[in-house]
This record gives sequence, structure tokens and C-alpha cells, in this order.
Amino acid sequence: MKGSSVPPKINAPFVEKVLVAFIRDELGRCSCRKALLGLSGGLDSAVCATLAVRALGPRNVLGLIMPYGKAFPKDVRDAKALAGRLGIRHETIDIAPQIDLYFAAHPTTSRLQRGNKMARERMSVLYDYSVREGGFVLGTSNKTELLVGYGTVYGDLACAINPMGDLYKTQVRRLATHLGVPAAIRRKAPTAGLWPGQTDEGELGLTYDELDRILYGLVEGRRTRRQVIEDGHDAAAVDRVLRMIKASDFKRTLPPIAKLSTRTVGHDFLYPRDREG
Amino acid sequence: MKTVLAQIVPKLGDVEANVDAHLEILGRARRQKAGLVVFPELGLTGYTLKDLAEEVALDPASDPLFRRLVAGTKGLSAVVGFVEESPADRGLFYNAAAFIADGRLVHVHRKVFLPTGGLFEEAKFFAQGRDFRTFQAPFGRAGLLICRDFLQFGSSYVHYAAGADLIICISAAPGRGVGGGDVFETSRMWELMGEAVSYFSTAFVLYANRVGSEDGVTFAGGSFVFAPGGRLVARASPVDPELLVCSIDLAAVREARRRWLFKRDEKPEAVWRSLERIVRASED
Repeated sequence: MKGSSVPPKINAPFVEKVLVAFIRDELGRCSCRKALLGLSGGLDSAVCATLAVRALGPRNVLGLIMPYGKAFPKDVRDAKALAGRLGIRHETIDIAPQIDLYFAAHPTTSRLQRGNKMARERMSVLYDYSVREGGFVLGTSNKTELLVGYGTVYGDLACAINPMGDLYKTQVRRLATHLGVPAAIRRKAPTAGLWPGQTDEGELGLTYDELDRILYGLVEGRRTRRQVIEDGHDAAAVDRVLRMIKASDFKRTLPPIAKLSTRTVGHDFLYPRDREG
Repeated sequence: MKTVLAQIVPKLGDVEANVDAHLEILGRARRQKAGLVVFPELGLTGYTLKDLAEEVALDPASDPLFRRLVAGTKGLSAVVGFVEESPADRGLFYNAAAFIADGRLVHVHRKVFLPTGGLFEEAKFFAQGRDFRTFQAPFGRAGLLICRDFLQFGSSYVHYAAGADLIICISAAPGRGVGGGDVFETSRMWELMGEAVSYFSTAFVLYANRVGSEDGVTFAGGSFVFAPGGRLVARASPVDPELLVCSIDLAAVREARRRWLFKRDEKPEAVWRSLERIVRASED
């Protein structure tokens, strides 16, 4: 595989510095000191929680662990251990009662539908706690997931700010090592936790190493399909990635607003989100 | 002369708060007996303005807040970034830099090169400046540039040809690329230009960039001063706010021009004739 499509090594201490300043800036602008996030027991939320602690201090970070009943007990244990290690407050909220109530009334055999419903239930809990705590919801979707659309709209993609969204999964791993995220979390197979036995790489049909190389070639490298294949990637894999990117464009933009007037929200009524005063 | 590059985090859209912050720094600089304070691009407004641009625009000759700022430069000089709307050009909003000295507005530069493409959309919201002029500062001849102006290297040449002792660039340059050292990869681009321009123009190059983030974009700091001959005098941190204080001696311009004869041997008329031919040909 040629070097042109290898995601670059990151200078992890510098990335940490930039992201810690970003979190502090974004919250400070709203005179807010608190942040909360869902702790899944996986890599991305562990990295995000660690960055938040370094930006805001452990007392200002709340981790919500939101299992579905007794599923994924090891992830719950890892999430609790991480919260203890970081010294942050954490609460465990079982989302099974509301999920079961809903699907009892509206049954489905689709695992994806159930998984998406759970992701949105967790979002709903996070945003409720956002008000209770007066804190920002931190997003933990990485660049790989955002590009291929591996996330639930208005579920895990929903957040106030996302410190992680410009780091490929393989780069998140490097940052995790630098930040001292426990090996138990770093070494486990990434999963969206939508159903038992699910793994990201199984579902995506590619390893993150391969996926990130292809994405990096297409995105930062601005290389064509043909060039990426010439770099040594399997044509079917490249086509699959291109299809995933295209099919998920809608997840990376706000819904289009039908323009009627001479000045329209999102089209030509354009204000920065971060304005002050 | 003691010089301060104010690598600050402006409040986006809050001119009053930013004027106060500028005045506070000017006060501190005066107490430290500084002769010049350089603030970043759009330091009075913040950078990512979009439709706010027209709401924060002001006429530097008459705006009360700006006049307060001008009055705050008693005994020293300052370069300030703001959005200009002058009575002569109503409805046109310029990304502008003002040179203020000892309570007097001396010069305004309107950004000529408005980056538009990729993450930049300046030409969507700002009118384009059309000129580079040097002016007489209390300490020497100076020329102003704003951010991208500096990367289009003809801009510095014009100031050099007009006899600038100092080329002062104010900036709101975002950082991109984190695979290198302890700075953004794009910071190298600015320093490379600063070093080269100071080397071959035998003038001082002052570059004041901002820090902080707006709508997810982090500004790359790394403000610097190069002395004539490409000598790095001072450099600020890549992420943190900082008042970069250093001392510059304008005698260095004379020294460099005695040693390196670039300025003596310069032929702006040859450049001009060639450019004229190129421009005419491109118009045919």
C-alpha cells in the first residue's frame, strides 16, 4: 500500500492541547463549566471524557452510563471503572423500561430499528440531564464514523459540541494511548452496541485501518476513485466506502429548508453560532 | 522601540467588549513604555462574522467607540483590525486595519485579497480593497497587510518598493494539520513568508495572529517578529493568548541595506513595465 493514503500520525500532545482549549472556549463562551456525555465503555467516549476532565476538571464532568437491561455487562463495568479512574461523577440509567414499553406496543423484528431507538433514547436522557446539570452534551463521533454515516441521526450524532469529529478512528486510538486510556478499553473491538456480538468492523465490512486509509486518500488526499485503487486498495472496498459516504450526506448537514422569502434561515440568514455580546 | 503583538481572543460580535480589551492592553503597553501595539485581524469584532459583518461595521472617523480607542493611543501607536463602513462608501463593508498614533487616525488599509473557498467565505460578506499604500509612522515608514494579503507575495513587494521599514501583517489565520511538531502545520507557511520577506526586503516583518476558536475553527497564534535579514526576534505560542513583547531597533534596516544591496539595486520601473505588459496582454 502506498504512503499517499495513510492517515498521518498526529502529534497527540498538541492535539490534546487544541481540543482541551476548544472545549474550554466553547463552554466558557456560554459561561458554562459543566459537560456531560454518554459513557459506553468504549474508546471514543473514554477519550472524550478524558479531554473534558483536562479542560474542565473532574467535578465538572458527568458520565451517564445507559445500558439496556443486563446487556453488555463488561462495557458497563469498564465505563464505571473509567469514571472512577477519572474521578468524575457518573450515573447508571437503565433504558430498558421505556424501550420495552414502546416495542411492546409497536413490535419489530428489526435489530437496526431497535438499536436506533435505543441510541435516540440515550440522546433523550442526555439532553434531559443537560438541563438538570446546566451542562453541554459532548459528542463522541469520530471522523471515520461521520464520513461513512455510522451513527444514528438525532441519536449518538446529537450533541452541543464535538471535539472528536476531525480525528479518524486510528488517530483516536493514538490519542487514547497518549491520554492513558486503560488498555482494557483500548484493546476491545469497537462496537456501536446496538445488539450483542455486533462489531463496527464486522458491520462495515472493513477494518478501521483499511477504512481510514481509503477515507484519508479520498478526503484529505482529494484522490479519485481510480487513484485510491491504484494506491493498492480493493476496488470493491473503495466502491463500498464511496457508497457509504454518498448515502450518508444527509447525516452531515442540517435538513434543507424550502426557500420562499428573500431571506431564509440556513440560506441567506447566516449568523455564527459562537457570537457573543 | 518596545513592540507588543497582542495575541488575543476577541469576543465574536461584541465590539464594545473588544474595545475595552484593546484599551486595557494599550494601557498596560503604555505603562511598559511600548511604542507600538499590534492587534490581530478583526480584533474589534471577531472573525467568523457572516451576516454580523454589517452590524459591527463602523466609520473610524466618527464612531464613538472607535474614537475612544483612538484617544487611548496617547503616547504610542497601534494597529487595529475592524470592519469599516465609511460615509463615502455606504453599504460597503471592508475587512480593514487602522494605524493609529498618539490619538490620531493615520491610515486605513482595506484587505485586498479576501480568501473565499474551502473554509473561507470572506468575499461573500466583504467588499474588496484595491490598494496598498505605505504611510509615515512616528518611528519609520510602514505598510499594512491583512492575513491573506501577506501570502500573495506581490503585496509585500509593493510596500518594499514604496520604502517600508516595517511590513505589519494582522491575521486571523486558522490552524490546520496536527501531524507535525508542537504547532499547526500551516504556521510554517506564515513564518516562511515572514522570514523570506524580511530577508529580501531588508525590512521588519511583524505578524500578529489571534488565538481561540470560533464555530469549531481554532486560530493558530504563532505571532512573530522578523528583523531585516530574516532574523527571528520573537515568536508567540500556537494556542494560548499572549502579549508578545520585544524590542526592535529601526537602525537594523539601515544596517541590512548597507550590507545587502537589494534595496539599492531594486528596479520597480522594470517590474512595473513588465507587469503592465502582462496585465494589458491578459486584458486583450
